[in-house]
Amino acid sequence: MGSPLETPQPLVLHERPLVKLGRVALDAVSGVRALVSLFLRTLWFTFRGSRPKGATALQAFEIGNRSAPFLALTMAFIGMILVYQSAVQLGRIVPDYSMVGANYAELLVRELGPTIGGLMLATRVGAGMAAETASMVVTEQVDALRLCAADPVDFLVVPRFLASLVMTVVVIVLCSGLAYATGALTALVAFDVRLDVFVNLSLVDFGDVATGLTKSLAYGAAIPICSCHCGLAAEGGSAGVGRATTAAVVLSSLAIIVINFFISASAFLVGL
Amino acid sequence: MGFLMALSSRLPYRVWGDLRGFVASLGGGVLLQAATVGQMGVLLSRIAARSTPARLDRRELVRHMEFMAIESLPIVGVTALFTGAIVIIQAAPVVQRFGAEGLLGWGAGFGVLREIGPLLTALMISGRVGANNTADLGTMVVTEQVDGLRALAIDPIAYLIVPRFFALIATLALMTIFSDVLALVGAALAGEVLVGLTMHGFYNGFTSGLIEFKDVAHGLIKSVAFGFIVALSSCHFGLATTGGAPGVGRSVKASVVASATGIFALDYFLSFVVP
Repeated sequence: MGSPLETPQPLVLHERPLVKLGRVALDAVSGVRALVSLFLRTLWFTFRGSRPKGATALQAFEIGNRSAPFLALTMAFIGMILVYQSAVQLGRIVPDYSMVGANYAELLVRELGPTIGGLMLATRVGAGMAAETASMVVTEQVDALRLCAADPVDFLVVPRFLASLVMTVVVIVLCSGLAYATGALTALVAFDVRLDVFVNLSLVDFGDVATGLTKSLAYGAAIPICSCHCGLAAEGGSAGVGRATTAAVVLSSLAIIVINFFISASAFLVGL
Repeated sequence: MGFLMALSSRLPYRVWGDLRGFVASLGGGVLLQAATVGQMGVLLSRIAARSTPARLDRRELVRHMEFMAIESLPIVGVTALFTGAIVIIQAAPVVQRFGAEGLLGWGAGFGVLREIGPLLTALMISGRVGANNTADLGTMVVTEQVDGLRALAIDPIAYLIVPRFFALIATLALMTIFSDVLALVGAALAGEVLVGLTMHGFYNGFTSGLIEFKDVAHGLIKSVAFGFIVALSSCHFGLATTGGAPGVGRSVKASVVASATGIFALDYFLSFVVP
């Protein structure tokens, strides 16, 4: 364990490219395998495990109630920004703002609400989970759990997984509503679009709602798996906790963007 | 006041206690946030004071930028490619409804250059570089290495913070250019493969003259502002770390949350102010 003052270490740029590529590929494969393994173990213990009573509710409070103000703030801003930018964009071709609200509602339900909300949850909840579990690993509390024959996946990951599955959907639906409201206000104030013209849900159909909810559910599953994977893999004191938390934020955000691409593409190809 | 007294005497004790607790926690939260903002202001003025005769340690700066930028290239690249593709997938139904496929290149370019490129790059850099910076500084603080520097009469702000601060701002601006390009490539590829719009048509739409240099500049000005807020909050929470290994984790979390809040708030104001 070198002293952190020595990081950032000089990069090895002259390493042979094929060696580097091979190492990256091997790392990626083993990382994905570890994630899938953790996910399967989590599912197994969800149905077969014996976690302490109330642990899930506690995590649901942490994920839902504690994150709601942060998420509400960012989503309120993103609602205003998006309506403003899209109206400016539209204004360059046809200055007719009557359909801004309808298109915004569709885009919010199927794409922006789940994804921006998911990225924010990945930042806050992912970092929190990784920091917690990594601290437990480096202070040997996880080893103590194993000593008591309590599987860390059952004891730590499953409550976070279940809570995140429920609360991500709830928080995203609530905050998307808020983003819609702030968007409507921006359209009213900046572009004189009346509220009854803006509130137009005619373009939101079953496919949009289904896509949006699928995305929220998938993000809710991905965030705790990615963050707990990083947290449980921590080693080496306070520097290790820092590295694990950083890795969790990056991995969860990346997972959300990749999942978003695959769900969006399949919804588009199916024609939802 | 009299009304409140009368109310308090009627309310059951538990409810009144809860209410008081709620008000107290609300006020406490506000005071805590105000203290954080104030400390960031102090840190900023110190950074400004240490760098007013511009005497940057160029070697440190380059070393940090090398680490921050080159290490983040893969993740920013992947994010940008997928984001560009998503923009096209989501814009395609809207554009097809209006029968304006020729405008798809323009629409994607506008959204990516002005809004989505800078925003997502800033969020990824905040997660990758800002969080790393906080973790690094936090580890140095809890292992008393920063105190060690002070004991050697080396100013931690000048030695540790100033190079990181400027390296992060520069990194984010450069990364935004990189990810703008890759997002447009991703959009063009997705248009070709999924939507059935040729790359040529995408390019024509993109260069039809509706995108001006000021749209690119809009995005870049934003990215500099985002770099500023990410650098400031990551350095602040790193230096404010207390309490061993769990403290480092808490600092990293606080840093990414503050960065994201700052990014969205600044994005809102800059969207209106910058033409």
